[in-house]
Amino acid sequence: MTSQRSEEWKLLERMSCEFALRELRTGREERDAHPFAPLDLDLLRKGEELGFFSLLQEDGEEAPANLRALNLILENLSMEDAAFAGAVFTHSLSQMVILQAGRADVLDKLKAKAAEGGTAEGRLPLVAFPSFDAPGETARGLRAEKQDGNYLLTGKADFVVLGSMAAWALLPARTMGVEGFSFFLCPLGGEGVEAGPAVLSLGLRSCPGVDLVMKGAVSSLVGEPGEGARYYGSAADLLAVSAAAMSLGVMKGSLREALQYARQRVQGGREIINWSEVRMILSQMSLHCRTGEMLLAAVMQEMAEGKPGWEVSSRAAALQVQDMACQVVSDGVQLLGGNGYMRDYGQEKRFRDAHQLKVLMGHHPLRKLEFLRLAEDIDSH
Amino acid sequence: MAALDEPRSAAKSELEDAIVSLQALQRIPRAVLRETRQALEEAKRFNREVIRPRALELDMKMQEDPDYLPWDFVQEANRRGFYTMFIPRLFGGRGYNIPALSCVLEEMASACTAMANLVGVHYLGIDTLAASWNMRLMNKIMRDVAEGERVGQPRIVSLAITEPEAGTDVEEVELLSKAKVTCRVERVKGGRVINGRKIFISNGHLSTWHMLVGYEDLQRPEETTVMLAVKTGTKGFSFGRMEKKMGQRACPASELIFEDCFVPEENVCFDYGYMDRMVRWLGRPRRSVPEYTSQVIHYVLSTSRAGVAGFATGVARGAYEEALRFAVETEVGGKRLIDQEWARCLLAEMYKNVALARLSYVETNYANSLYGMFKVLQWKPMFYILKLTPRKMMDSVVAPFLNLGAVTWLFRKICLDGQKDEEMQRTSGWASLSKFAASDFGLRNCQLALDLMGRAGVLFDQGAEKHLRDCKLLQIYEGTNQLNRLNLFNCLIGRSLPGVRAFEE
Repeated sequence: MTSQRSEEWKLLERMSCEFALRELRTGREERDAHPFAPLDLDLLRKGEELGFFSLLQEDGEEAPANLRALNLILENLSMEDAAFAGAVFTHSLSQMVILQAGRADVLDKLKAKAAEGGTAEGRLPLVAFPSFDAPGETARGLRAEKQDGNYLLTGKADFVVLGSMAAWALLPARTMGVEGFSFFLCPLGGEGVEAGPAVLSLGLRSCPGVDLVMKGAVSSLVGEPGEGARYYGSAADLLAVSAAAMSLGVMKGSLREALQYARQRVQGGREIINWSEVRMILSQMSLHCRTGEMLLAAVMQEMAEGKPGWEVSSRAAALQVQDMACQVVSDGVQLLGGNGYMRDYGQEKRFRDAHQLKVLMGHHPLRKLEFLRLAEDIDSH
Repeated sequence: MAALDEPRSAAKSELEDAIVSLQALQRIPRAVLRETRQALEEAKRFNREVIRPRALELDMKMQEDPDYLPWDFVQEANRRGFYTMFIPRLFGGRGYNIPALSCVLEEMASACTAMANLVGVHYLGIDTLAASWNMRLMNKIMRDVAEGERVGQPRIVSLAITEPEAGTDVEEVELLSKAKVTCRVERVKGGRVINGRKIFISNGHLSTWHMLVGYEDLQRPEETTVMLAVKTGTKGFSFGRMEKKMGQRACPASELIFEDCFVPEENVCFDYGYMDRMVRWLGRPRRSVPEYTSQVIHYVLSTSRAGVAGFATGVARGAYEEALRFAVETEVGGKRLIDQEWARCLLAEMYKNVALARLSYVETNYANSLYGMFKVLQWKPMFYILKLTPRKMMDSVVAPFLNLGAVTWLFRKICLDGQKDEEMQRTSGWASLSKFAASDFGLRNCQLALDLMGRAGVLFDQGAEKHLRDCKLLQIYEGTNQLNRLNLFNCLIGRSLPGVRAFEE
């Protein structure tokens, strides 16, 4: 990594901290009221201007450093509002799948198209993705048929994240005569695609998912037919640690809020931070946060060095940190008592967000079962 | 509070702590079982016809419009008699045994904890009123609730105790002396004047009566506690904001504001002055005034925490039922979840959590029946007199006697002074145990349901995420689970350890 790049990432990291504190903290409650309040697309545009959505634009030597920067940014953003980080993550996951398919040129084309205003009106230059499902499951509901050099998609894709605001969606679908599934890039907001209303979910409400009904939507194949599982597998290896970074950010935000509250709130004639049981809970939260940080740092190091088995470490980090986060955010609400349960302090949102993040990239227990298979594969090699 | 010095009596007491249900076998009236079945049948029908069909719709409505008040639900619960179901017939109610309340709340909460609260919190108010054994005021307010049922105008009761700077502190008398309380009750001619605010008052906006806990001297709250009944519409009393909660949205958490609010003497439920006089009349009282205050609070919490355990068992069950349905209906990886061993073990774990949560509140209710607030009502002769005496005779012959001061004195003598310290500790300790055990099991089950269901688990229309949001509050109200653990320690462990003092470290 060049020193110029290193400075750039530091700047980006600092910007993400400031952005989180200035832009994400204020108005968090209003944004979280979606779908009963409009989406704040301007905020996403600001994030785009700051470069949060284009970190994975390039492949090659810079990739590990880019990923490290992405993870830091996701962590910082998630401390204040994991929903915004969810938008960054989803777009990044789409980009990563495209890159793993060897189609960096597609990303360039999308960028150029957005620059010349070639996207549907009101839509952002982002790529939606069903990021809470294993693509193999989503692909069961979508069929692609080749016609005049393009593909027509039909069927239904559930809970496509950013589907209501992104200009494109990257969707897995099955094609007649091809084993496995393939990925297709489909423009949104045009003919052949019907987006349902935002699906109300537990958390990440300002990064909503929608159900898409495809009625012969013109799409283009990304990569080779039937290779979707391989592309997604590689992308998931790389971005599992990014999913972990988001959960880590939520944990750290919860700990920070709880500490601040415990120093101020007085019960029984003393600040509650001086109650040893409260200190014990805070210590446990802090321990989880520190363990999460160490896990992420270790995985990033393994990735940078190309150490064999880093893929398994990345997946392990995601599973472990997502689990820990659910415990931490629950304690984070608990320490604020009744106040923690109300929307005013952000703790209840973190509680909801962390539980939703646990499902990011698919069903948690099945990913655990799959993890053993991956670990066995690595060990046998 | 008297310490148990003799090792032998301590050992005996510990044994009795451990075998509450065995001791109850011979002493609980047989009709309790039949009554409980009947109450559960009514709750199941209510679930089927009202709660289940409306649970998600009402939660959605509250997210859309946080100021909405579910009057229609309260009307329906009132019409079906749920607000008088557990009021003794002596006071114009339907007279079901109070331990059955936990079972009813479990049933309702299995479909929606918020709606279960719309019924259950009313009994928190009723319990508070009953814990003081002010028979005249009990007769007045409970009969007003019954009249509200008769005329189709719900008149439900809330408890107003939490203040902006005092949550945990006001739940424990040992902490009350250090609490930053602000709700002041001033003695004036003919009554009291209240100034201050109460927050997080469940059902506040929907209630007609509010059992308010205030203090005459804000510097000595533990010695000057006053409990009053304030009626909605009283001059100087208004509602403030409704909190925006993560879950249990249909049950409003209200702010109550009192500005020179006058309450007549007849609505004073108890105060330290009365307790002081009682202590002097008794000659050799068992307790001091602050200890009687503490006892009343323990009385309330021993019953209300069993109710919270009922809610928690219900939500644990609701989450389990959603997960089971999903596992039966859903194929993952080409195979139904229910046919996968890991999913079966997870469901077994959830089933266990429900069963243990339920056992914990059943044991607490036995403790309350043998040693606590339900003791008089569950005493067989009293149980059958109240059950079999014709209502007309009850209303015209017995009820007028309840307005006599001597009757209140007699009941306080029997129920407050007659309760031994170890009995109070047993009921309070078990209540805390069931509260934190059941709510921890509840939250665990909600998390397991989400795990099993994957992405479907976090979607609103699947119902599981609502259980998770609803359940978290159960670990917080009626004393945080941490406070309840400390209370268990104080009541069942620390009491026989020399030199161990509550809340000191």
